Amino acid sequence: MEMLRNGVSKLAIGVFAVFAFSAVYALGFQLVKSATLQSLNYNDISVEQAMLVAEGAINECKKDNSAISVAVVDRDGLVRFLLRGDGATPELVDNARKKAYTARTFRQATRDWMTRTAIDAKDDNGKAIDLNGQQYLENTIAEIGGMPIIYKGDAIGGVGVTGSKGGGDGDEKCAKAGVAAIADQLL
Amino acid sequence: MFRISHILTAATATAMLLVTAPAFAQGPTLTAEQAMAALRAVQAYAKKDGSDPSTCVVDRDGNVVLLLKGNNAAPHNIGLAQRKAFTANMFKMKSIEWRDATKPGTPRENERQTPNAIPLGGGVPIMIGNEVVGAVGVSGTRGGQEGDTAGAQAGADAAAAAVQRLQAQAQVR
Repeated sequence: MEMLRNGVSKLAIGVFAVFAFSAVYALGFQLVKSATLQSLNYNDISVEQAMLVAEGAINECKKDNSAISVAVVDRDGLVRFLLRGDGATPELVDNARKKAYTARTFRQATRDWMTRTAIDAKDDNGKAIDLNGQQYLENTIAEIGGMPIIYKGDAIGGVGVTGSKGGGDGDEKCAKAGVAAIADQLL
Repeated sequence: MFRISHILTAATATAMLLVTAPAFAQGPTLTAEQAMAALRAVQAYAKKDGSDPSTCVVDRDGNVVLLLKGNNAAPHNIGLAQRKAFTANMFKMKSIEWRDATKPGTPRENERQTPNAIPLGGGVPIMIGNEVVGAVGVSGTRGGQEGDTAGAQAGADAAAAAVQRLQAQAQVR
């Protein structure tokens, strides 16, 4: 009798274990499945697009024989493409990257961001907006020559240019020409 | 007398200039155009390969001239491409050869401690004659370290061809 009871309870435990395992397994499977179905899906600037942007900027700057450095960052602000211009001083390449990063992360031309984050910046109603602290963020740079790459209101990257003969204005002109090179894909 | 001393000073200064001028360290360096030529060749290899690699080109000092991160690159790919290029440039050989030359247990194993170097295939030096002027590093082709090496070789050859083309053009001028 004792043995039988032991046998029954062992069987019960066994059956319970099988059920418990199946339940956990099924739940786990469901979680994995729903994770697959609900994973984030977003647009990001591609290798092909980044090279078109870079070549657009380089060709624009070739018009006055400027050997620019150019950086294209992706939606995470990480380098997708980087090219050092001939004769670039050591800091110029990284400054190009920082311009691209700043334009990407604040979704606007670095020129506009500089105006908004200036120490004495005011909003449209003349009220002071003290955003100067943003200029202390890592990887940002308060220099003209960075443009965001926007697709359907979504910043999918940024481009930064340094070393043009036209200074910041020249850099920006070439950065804009870079974005224009994929304008048809950004509609 | 006064004039003679002036002439002597001027002559000495000229002589010094002539002597000191060649004292600069000089050598060919990699241009942006050559780096782009390398990248296009790697991309062409990748297209045939059906892969999406990350690429880095460094100059003779090991500094980055060009970086490209593949569309679906794993987080380590771009840094690895840079280290492979750095390795090939520093040791003046393919990084896959350096990997084999520094196997643990061999006399050269300690070379693997070199900062920024990596004993993995995919870095190929850019040779002009017998001179290394930079290197190409590739990470993320289909063929593993051999595939990365083949891609980087295509890039290094294209960069070297671009150098020779520019030199030929310069000579015509």
